[in-house]
Amino acid sequence: MEVSDLRRGDVAADLLLFDTAPDTHLLRIHLMAEPDFTQFKLVRKGHQFEDFHEGQVFEHHWGRTINAGDNSLFTTVILAHCPLYFNAEFARAHGHPDVVVNPMLIACVVVGISVEDLSEAGGPFLGINGLEFHRPLYPGDTLSARSTVISKRESASRRDFGIVTWCTEARNQRDELVISYERTNLVARRGGRSL
Amino acid sequence: MPIKVSSLTGSGNYFEDFEVGAKLRHARGTTIGEVENQLLTKLVLNTADGHYNEHRMEGTAFGRRLVFGLITGSVCIGLATQDTGENALAELGLNGIKFTSPVFHGDTLYAYSEVLEKRDSDRDDAGIVRFKHWGTKQDGKIVFEGERTVLIKRRSHWGDR
Repeated sequence: MEVSDLRRGDVAADLLLFDTAPDTHLLRIHLMAEPDFTQFKLVRKGHQFEDFHEGQVFEHHWGRTINAGDNSLFTTVILAHCPLYFNAEFARAHGHPDVVVNPMLIACVVVGISVEDLSEAGGPFLGINGLEFHRPLYPGDTLSARSTVISKRESASRRDFGIVTWCTEARNQRDELVISYERTNLVARRGGRSL
Repeated sequence: MPIKVSSLTGSGNYFEDFEVGAKLRHARGTTIGEVENQLLTKLVLNTADGHYNEHRMEGTAFGRRLVFGLITGSVCIGLATQDTGENALAELGLNGIKFTSPVFHGDTLYAYSEVLEKRDSDRDDAGIVRFKHWGTKQDGKIVFEGERTVLIKRRSHWGDR
């Protein structure tokens, strides 16, 4: 192949071997074709309105061990200025074995690990109600979460969306209830416009 | 030697200090950026990339990354914490949490609180206070509202401990 045979887009191969022939000064290049990413199959995430039915239970992925660094970082960034969350001696003087995990971190992590199952496919958050913190969590404790669909209905004003309400609960490694709440979102319908 | 816990927190925010109907404008605000939204959203394993994929969000009506609502809510409650939870024994719950307007990187949040209710708890040394909180942006627009119920120390039991 001569250099003049190359077409725009042929370069960017991940295997390029240059071999200059001393007599002819021709550059011989061995190319691998660039992959056509439009032919790669999208690994879709999330569920749409049609995927939910009342009573359906989701055991959410991953779980999350909350460590001391998570708690200090989160608490200080959100400016939650109560020493229970960042002064272990203060927390021990209140009967805790260590600093207390900031309750808003618990709420954020539990919503976080529920997002792929419940709301990643798109749709605005409408509300959280009846949230209860049932017991303190400490660094080293592990949260796992599950949600149950408690209602679904059409949206009167947004034809591309429905409204789904879930009850979410998260427990620690001893299966003790740590947090529970109801969350409601607009959820994109299949084939509708997403945001 | 045990520490004197009352010396580490303020003296004007015990249970006895809250009056139903009192309205508080919290002194500090904070501008939301990469640390608050991108770092914390990823820290809590929120997989919705609309909170951290600027390129994809350029193609939407929002035009840029949206701040994760619960980070907005956490920051607003955080801004209210010294005045309404520095002497808390426990956070009990939240209700009526709403995000009424989108927040973007570069917006600055402020917090406001009203005391809705106070009542005895099942322990002598603390009582329960229910607050309404609001968060606003720099232009005054409300972005967050919700109620929060807190178990707060009584000065009578904790003021000199």
